Amino acid sequence: MKKLFSIVLVVVLLLSMLSLAGCQAKTYELAMITDIGDIDDKSFNQGTWEGLRDYAVEHKITHKYYKPTEASTDAYIAAIDLAVSSGAKVVVTPGFLFEEAIYIAQDKYPEIMFILLDGVPHDANYENFKTGPNVFPVVYAEEHCGYLAGYAAVVDGYRNLGYQGGMAVPAVCRYGFGYVQGANDAARDLGLAKGSIKIMYNYSGDFADTPASQTRAAGWYQAGTEVIFAAGGKVGNSVMSAAEAANKAVIGVDVDQSAESPTVISSAMKGLATMVQYGLKGFYAGKFPGGEAVTVGAESNAVSLAPFSTSKWKTFSQADYDALFAKLANGTIVPEKDLDRTNPTELKLDYVKLTFVE
Amino acid sequence: MDMLYLLLRQTMYFSIPLLIVALGGMFSERSGVTNIALEGIMVMGGFTGIYFINQMQSQMSGQWLLVLAIFIAMAGGLLLSLPHAYASVNLKADQVISGTALNMFAPAFVIYIARMIQPSGIANVSFKNTFFIHEVPVLCDIPVIGDILFKNTYITTFLGFFILIVSAIVLYKTRFGMRLRACGEHPHAADSVGINVYKMRYIGVMISGVLAGLGGLVLTVPISTEFKGAVNGYGFLALAVLIFGQWKPMRILWASLFFGFMQTISAAYSAIPFLLNLNIPSEFFKMTPYIATLIVLAFSSKSSKAPKAVGQPYDQGAR
Repeated sequence: MKKLFSIVLVVVLLLSMLSLAGCQAKTYELAMITDIGDIDDKSFNQGTWEGLRDYAVEHKITHKYYKPTEASTDAYIAAIDLAVSSGAKVVVTPGFLFEEAIYIAQDKYPEIMFILLDGVPHDANYENFKTGPNVFPVVYAEEHCGYLAGYAAVVDGYRNLGYQGGMAVPAVCRYGFGYVQGANDAARDLGLAKGSIKIMYNYSGDFADTPASQTRAAGWYQAGTEVIFAAGGKVGNSVMSAAEAANKAVIGVDVDQSAESPTVISSAMKGLATMVQYGLKGFYAGKFPGGEAVTVGAESNAVSLAPFSTSKWKTFSQADYDALFAKLANGTIVPEKDLDRTNPTELKLDYVKLTFVE
Repeated sequence: MDMLYLLLRQTMYFSIPLLIVALGGMFSERSGVTNIALEGIMVMGGFTGIYFINQMQSQMSGQWLLVLAIFIAMAGGLLLSLPHAYASVNLKADQVISGTALNMFAPAFVIYIARMIQPSGIANVSFKNTFFIHEVPVLCDIPVIGDILFKNTYITTFLGFFILIVSAIVLYKTRFGMRLRACGEHPHAADSVGINVYKMRYIGVMISGVLAGLGGLVLTVPISTEFKGAVNGYGFLALAVLIFGQWKPMRILWASLFFGFMQTISAAYSAIPFLLNLNIPSEFFKMTPYIATLIVLAFSSKSSKAPKAVGQPYDQGAR
């Protein structure tokens, strides 16, 4: 029995070594490195991956994603090393967590092109910023789609709003800042009394679905909150769960989350796929758009609310949306975004009574 | 008043899974086997239960689906507890190590399996929550208690209390419970009067697997819309509840209610004007349950009621 077992073990080991050796012969031209999440996070990684995959499938280019062993700059660089040694020509990295890794990798691999979504490359101390010609950093104007969400919610008749962020990272703060300003401006435009909009505002400090986040949302709903904008990955799932129990509404984030819960009335979306494909198109046309960070918002059609076909607005109409979007796009409305602050109470909000839950 | 009822109901979402899992841990430890694999077993039970719901929800919904999922989750937990029982009883291995191994194994395993068996290839198993009970007829009209227990609830809450009562009776009033406790206190003495210590310990670990697996499902259903290989440390929290509760069913109930209520306050204080106006930093509310735990443990550690033989592999030959 023992002999048989050891023979089986040896065969399994041999086979696995052979299959590993077999893998290395293959190369993948397009690579994506995931951050803390996974390519199925229904959010950032997934949106990026789908953009890359669709482009690659359409143009028959080999592609693969790599999952770092942990969320650290060293692990990210190790994953980039692996991608490059497997033949990657373009490496796509979603999320500001890669800023430092790309700062290092751009010099290490000058012939490899990098697309960095949602960040700009810099060193560990934020002292040196450098964007080489082989790096295309994309920064999203989250405050634009946050603004759209807040404005739409108030026009649609909601007066008690909530904002549930994840970790207080710049993108999450911009979403929240845009949201409260949008609500404020909608109240002004509708001619409501000052202080007539109430907003609860919190960063949960994680990106997980926990009883704590579900309870916080349930408490807010019980205290009168009608709709919560949830911008924090799986924190949103806890908010949706609370909304289902209380029969209230949720606004989703990053991608169209309407399929996840009937309580999702709309989503503030980033065009992740759009920008990945923009970069890839440039690369294959011989004009990689590297060397300078671009901030993309409504003017580039890179942010939006979920389409009306999947949204559940009562009175907010497509015409309202188009008019508002046009104002953001042509710069008539410029929502404030201060990246040095996480505290929204310093914004000038006459029509909103904001409660910042630290 | 409505807010207070909400807080007490929310407390159940924290407390009931802690109660169930801690009671599971109690059976294992009372039989003499440390079980720190509770976290991993919860993950396994949560996954099997939620995946079952995911597969069946197009054909059925409501309480019967949940009841079936409960049995599936129990089976999943039972399955994962068997290697722990085998390692700690038959192989006389270090129980902490095999428990740790299972804790590391379970999340990776369920994500791997989810990716393999779901046609979309994703790790998240989503489910539709059709198990929410707005009001239990008749019972919800009882003042106070009706508001706390019989409105906006899940059958799992009642199941938790049922398991508590059964556990207390089994442990103290049956021959089996007596024998189980003997195996955790002095296995040699138990063996000398003809009790099969190995069998008892196997049963103890298996009960903990069944209950922890159930706990994983009970934790996930009310608080999310999908499951992805994590229970966020609630297995370890249940261990703390077990120790806090001094390995006794009723005390475990109070401990889990205390933990749950404190966690609820720390999460929901922003919705309570009175607490919000105190202007106390949120960190204070977040650390309160843990500080209280430290204080209570410091005072109760002298009279610790841990089973004497817990963690020691039983060797018939040794005296």
